[in-house]
Amino acid sequence: MNVRSNQMKLGIGAVVTAVFLLTVAIPFWVSSPTNVPNIVLAPTFWPQILAAVTGVTGVGLMVFSSRRRAVTSTSGLEAEEKGAAIFRMIGLAAIMGLALLAMPRLGLVWTAMLVFAALAFLVRTRHPGIVLICAVAVPLILYGFFAHVAGVAIPQGHFVRLP
Amino acid sequence: MSFSDSILAGLSLVANFESFLSLFIGVAVGTVAGAIPGMSATMAVALALPFTFSMTPITGILLLLGVYKGGIFGGSIPAILIKTPGTPASSATILDGYPLAEKGQAGKALGMALWASCTADLISNLSLILFAGWLASFALSFGPPEFFALILFSLTIIAGVSGESLLRGALSALLGLLLATIGLDLIYGTNRFTFGNPNMMGGLNFIAVLIGLFAIPEIIAMVWDPKAHEGKTRRLGEDRVTFQDYKSSFRSIVRGSFIGVFLGSIPGIGAAPSAFLSYSEARRKSKNKANFGHGEVEGVAAAEAGNNGVAGATLIPLLALGVPGDVITAIILGAFMVHGLQPGPMMFVMNSDIIYGLFVGLIVSSVFLFLIGSVAIKGFKYVAEIPRGVLFPGVMVLCIYGVFAVNNNLFDVGVMFAMGWVGYFMARFDVPTAPFLIAFVLGPLLEDSFRQSMLMSGSSPAVLFRGPICWFFWGLTCITVFAIIRSGARAARQSKKTEFVRQTP
Repeated sequence: MNVRSNQMKLGIGAVVTAVFLLTVAIPFWVSSPTNVPNIVLAPTFWPQILAAVTGVTGVGLMVFSSRRRAVTSTSGLEAEEKGAAIFRMIGLAAIMGLALLAMPRLGLVWTAMLVFAALAFLVRTRHPGIVLICAVAVPLILYGFFAHVAGVAIPQGHFVRLP
Repeated sequence: MSFSDSILAGLSLVANFESFLSLFIGVAVGTVAGAIPGMSATMAVALALPFTFSMTPITGILLLLGVYKGGIFGGSIPAILIKTPGTPASSATILDGYPLAEKGQAGKALGMALWASCTADLISNLSLILFAGWLASFALSFGPPEFFALILFSLTIIAGVSGESLLRGALSALLGLLLATIGLDLIYGTNRFTFGNPNMMGGLNFIAVLIGLFAIPEIIAMVWDPKAHEGKTRRLGEDRVTFQDYKSSFRSIVRGSFIGVFLGSIPGIGAAPSAFLSYSEARRKSKNKANFGHGEVEGVAAAEAGNNGVAGATLIPLLALGVPGDVITAIILGAFMVHGLQPGPMMFVMNSDIIYGLFVGLIVSSVFLFLIGSVAIKGFKYVAEIPRGVLFPGVMVLCIYGVFAVNNNLFDVGVMFAMGWVGYFMARFDVPTAPFLIAFVLGPLLEDSFRQSMLMSGSSPAVLFRGPICWFFWGLTCITVFAIIRSGARAARQSKKTEFVRQTP
C-alpha cells in the first residue's frame, strides 16, 4: 500500500466528513433549543468545533501527503492469496450480520455456537474435532457463568430454552 | 486521615481470600494472554472487564490490575522464545532475548526478564503510592477551567506520541471526540446524532466501543491472514539466571525502572518507548556494550525493567487526576465507572479505603507475578500451541457475551462489530486507535468542563486562562505541540536525506 496515497485518502475522507457534519449531520440531527443565551453553550457548538478542526486536520493531511515519498508497504500476502483473503473478509462480515439477525430468534447461546464453528471453518481450521467440542462447550460455560453467577438475562430465543 | 490510617483501612478492605484470589487469577490470566502471540495485555484487560460486573469494586479492579501486570510480563515470553512480542511493550526484549534463545540460553533470558519485571513492578508500585496522594491533594484545588486545560494537554500528548504522524493521531482523537457527542446533550438534554433510536440516547456504550476497537480487529486480521504470528518455539536450555547475573544487571534494572516510572506518569507515552530508552541507556553505560544485540542478559533486564516500570506509574494520573495515561488505564477507568466510582482527587477523600486497598493489592501483585511467571516460563510451550483457529473464535464468543452483559442489550453487540471494522481499517491506514479510545473517554469530561467554565464566566473565554495552573497546562500544551511538530519535521528531513544518499550513485 502506498503511504502517500493513504495519507491523501485519509485527508480527503476527513474533509468530506467535516463538510458532511457541518452541512447535513449537525443541522438535521442535533437539536438545539431556541432560547440558548450564548452560542458557546448551544448543543451544536461543540460538534461544530470538532467538525471544523477535523476539516483543518484533513487539509493538513492532504498538504503533507504531497511532501511525502511514495513508499510502498507490503501487506504480507501474495497477489493470489489476496483474493481468498477478501473472500474470507466478506464471509466474516456476513457471519457478523447474520449473527445480529439470529440472536433474538435463536438465542445468544445457539448463535454463539454457530458463530464459533463458522469462524473456525472460515479460516480452515486443522482441528475440526476440537472446534466442534469447543463450539458447544465455550458458549455453554459462558452461559452458565453469566446467567447463573453474574445474573445476566441471556436471550433464549424462540426454539430451545436452557435452564 | 493519616497515611498509616489510610493504609490500614485499605488493608482491612483487601485482606480477604476473595480479593487475593481475584488478584492471583488476574495475574495468571494476564500472563497467559500476554504470552499468546496475537493477543495483547489490552485485549486481555478488555475481555476480563465483563467478568468483574458481578464482583465488588475492589475485587473487580484488582482482577483487572492483575491482568494488566501479568499481560505486560507475559508478552516477553514469546518475544524471547519465538521472536514475536506478545505485547508491543516487549519489542525491545527481542533485541537480546532472542539471540540468547538462539544460543540455547532462553531459560536464562526468561529468568532475567522475570526478575527484572518483578523488581521494576515493585519500584513502580512504590512510586505510585508515594506520588499519587501528593498529586491528588494538589489537584483538589482544580476547577472546570483547570480540568479543561489538563484534559486538552493530555489529548495533545496522546495524539502526538501514539504514531509517527501528529496529524493522524489528531484525526484519531477528533473522531473519538465526535463519537462521544452521540447521545443526550449534557446541559439541555436535547438529542445529538441519536436518529430517534432510544438505544443511542445514553451515548455509545464504552465497553462495546473498547472491545470493538481492540479485540475484534485482531480477529479480522486473523481472518485476513490466518498464518500470521506462526513461529518456531525455542527450547529453554539448561542455563538458568543466577543471583550474580541479577546483581551485575541491578543498576540497569533500577535505572530502567525509574525511566519507566517517569515516562509512565506522563499520559500517552506508554511502555514501548520506555523499554527502548531503558535499553539504550543500559547499552550506553554498560561494560559489555559490544555484546548488546548479540545476546546480552543485561539488555533483557533493561528492556523488561523499562516496560514494567510503567505499569504502576500509569495509574498515577488515573487515580490522582482521573486522566488515563494509556489505553489499559482507560479501560480501568471504565471499570471504576461501571462500579459507580470516579477516579480523581475527590476519590482520595471519599473512597480512600479503596485507593489504599488497591495500593496494597498492587504490592502483593508483584509477589504473585514472580510465582506465576516462574511457572508460566515452563508452561509456555502449551500456551503457544493453542491453535489460532480455535482461540480466536473463542475470543469472538467471549466478546459477544461480554458486551451483551453490560446492558443486556443486543444493540451493543452491533456497535462492537461496527467498531471492530472501524478499528481494523484504522490500523490498515496507520491511524493509531489509542487516541480514539482515550478521546472517547475524555470527550464528555472535556466538553463538560468547557461548558461549565463558560457558565461560570458568563461565556468569557478568559476564564480558561484564569490562574497559574491553567497557564502551566496551556504552556505544556504549546511546548508539546511545538516539540512534536519539530521532531516530525526533523524525521521528514532525515528521511529525505537518506533517500538522496540512496539515489546518488
